Amino acid sequence: MIHLFHVTKYYQGCLALHDVTLRVEKGEFVLVTGPSGAGKTTLLKLIFGSEVPTEGQILVQNRNIARLRPSDIPYLRRTMGFVLQEFKLLPGKTVFDNVALPLIIRGLSSTEITRKVMDALRGVSMEHKKTAWASVLSAGEQQRVCIARAIVNSPLILLADEPTGNLDPQLAHDITELFKAINARGTTVMLATHNRQIVEQVNGRVVSLHCGRLVTDQGGYR
Amino acid sequence: MKRALYVLREAVTGFRLHRANSMIGIVTTAFTLASFGLFGLTYLNVRNVARMLQQDLQVVVYLQDDISDADRERLEQQLRNDEQVAALTYVSKAQALAEFRQQFPEESRLLEGIGPNPLPASFVITLASSERPSADLADFGERVTEFSGVEYVRYNRDWIEHLTLIIRYFELGAVGMGIVLGLASATIIANTVSLAFYARKDEVEILRLIGATGLFIALPYIIEGAMLGAMGSGVALGLLWSGFEVLRARLADSVWLSDVRSLLKFFPAQVSIMLIIAGMMLGALASFLSVHRWMKVRV
Ligand SMILES: Nc1ncnc2c1ncn2[C@@H]1O[C@H](COP(=O)(O)OP(=O)(O)OP(=O)(O)O)[C@@H](O)[C@H]1O
Ligand SMILES: [Mg+2]
Repeated sequence: MIHLFHVTKYYQGCLALHDVTLRVEKGEFVLVTGPSGAGKTTLLKLIFGSEVPTEGQILVQNRNIARLRPSDIPYLRRTMGFVLQEFKLLPGKTVFDNVALPLIIRGLSSTEITRKVMDALRGVSMEHKKTAWASVLSAGEQQRVCIARAIVNSPLILLADEPTGNLDPQLAHDITELFKAINARGTTVMLATHNRQIVEQVNGRVVSLHCGRLVTDQGGYR
Repeated sequence: MKRALYVLREAVTGFRLHRANSMIGIVTTAFTLASFGLFGLTYLNVRNVARMLQQDLQVVVYLQDDISDADRERLEQQLRNDEQVAALTYVSKAQALAEFRQQFPEESRLLEGIGPNPLPASFVITLASSERPSADLADFGERVTEFSGVEYVRYNRDWIEHLTLIIRYFELGAVGMGIVLGLASATIIANTVSLAFYARKDEVEILRLIGATGLFIALPYIIEGAMLGAMGSGVALGLLWSGFEVLRARLADSVWLSDVRSLLKFFPAQVSIMLIIAGMMLGALASFLSVHRWMKVRV
């Protein structure tokens, strides 16, 4: 599903990842941990096509990300979901319209959009807030809507970069449960965090980075 | 369907969100286009008047005093058959004298007592209208001077040459001004659209995150630019038209200028529509150029 092969990434001479080789199979739940600046965000961005590796190859669903033209990137992203620490909703739109955006982009019909959006909102227990403005939601609710938007396309891969970083422990726990549920339905999940509580809660494969190097890779069914 | 609707709605929303900026964009575009339009309108009218003036190109062919009636009739026939001649009138020696007396009653006494009538007979010829009146006039003059029985040919080429030159300068000026003012409007619109784009950077980031193509992201801004351009040129035309009508009303008050008034013309409908379409395309192009580099980035 995701295969990094001796990937190195420099940002203007600053090393962010060094010789990382990693293989993630379909349906896995991979936690990416490590101290601040270890390269967690960089790793996810490379898989998402936001950054190009300086060296090495990255295959996602058998497509070579490094060789993808910028105009192909949007189509790659439609097969993935990305949840960030900041919530990134459009404040001037309703919950429904925010979640519908990835489907509108693909040009789906109204009935299909409604069906998929409602499915996604039910998946994050936010269907009762579908007509609320995104700007009036609480932090936990905003992150749920972001997750709904990330899964509304039924992506094969869900990437999350410290999705609970701005939430209190109880909310972080709930959101993590949500990711586990999504993973249980077959979606491959890669979640970056330095929160030990989440690592224990997920109890899956843990990939640790340190100063851009992959130091440990434990758990999971490897 | 839903997608097209979304793009349109975004364009209109952007427009409303940045109303102040949009207004500035429209107004400045309107003024630059209006000054260009003013120039174009002046050009159009000068050209109209020039066309009309050039239409009665007159040449006077003076006849030798000793020409026989038969030779005169032959010459008249020869001239009438000439394809450059539109109309021809014969002015006899007697008529010439009578006209002179009428026009200059004081000086006519000078002619008395110097024997026979000294004024020559002539043909007053109106030339057929032509695309290059100045050159045709010269050609005709040179040709007719060679005809037998012709004393000399008088025509005034100077003012026609001036007029032709003025029109040539006007055309050059119109092209130059069109380029400069067009670039100015395009820059203003590009700027307005860039501001709108930056103001919604978060939204653009989100759209990239969820896999929107560059075109989908840029399209609302391109439409917004097209709307700005169309409205700008619409306002410009409105301004010009009002100014034009005021001028015409003023001219109607003065008696001797009322002739000029009937000559003045505004842009015909097709040209007005073309100007609005040109403004629209200018706006769309300007915003495309200002957002298209964002269509290519990966992030
Ligand atoms: N756009 C960039 N330009 C230059 N350097 C960058 C850029 N992005 C990241 N870096 C550097 O690359 C290294 C890895 O950054 P990265 O954001 O991947 O770390 P992280 O593990 O996500 O950290 P955190 O836990 O704080 O989010 C850091 O040293 C960072 O300063
Ligand atoms: Mg990070």
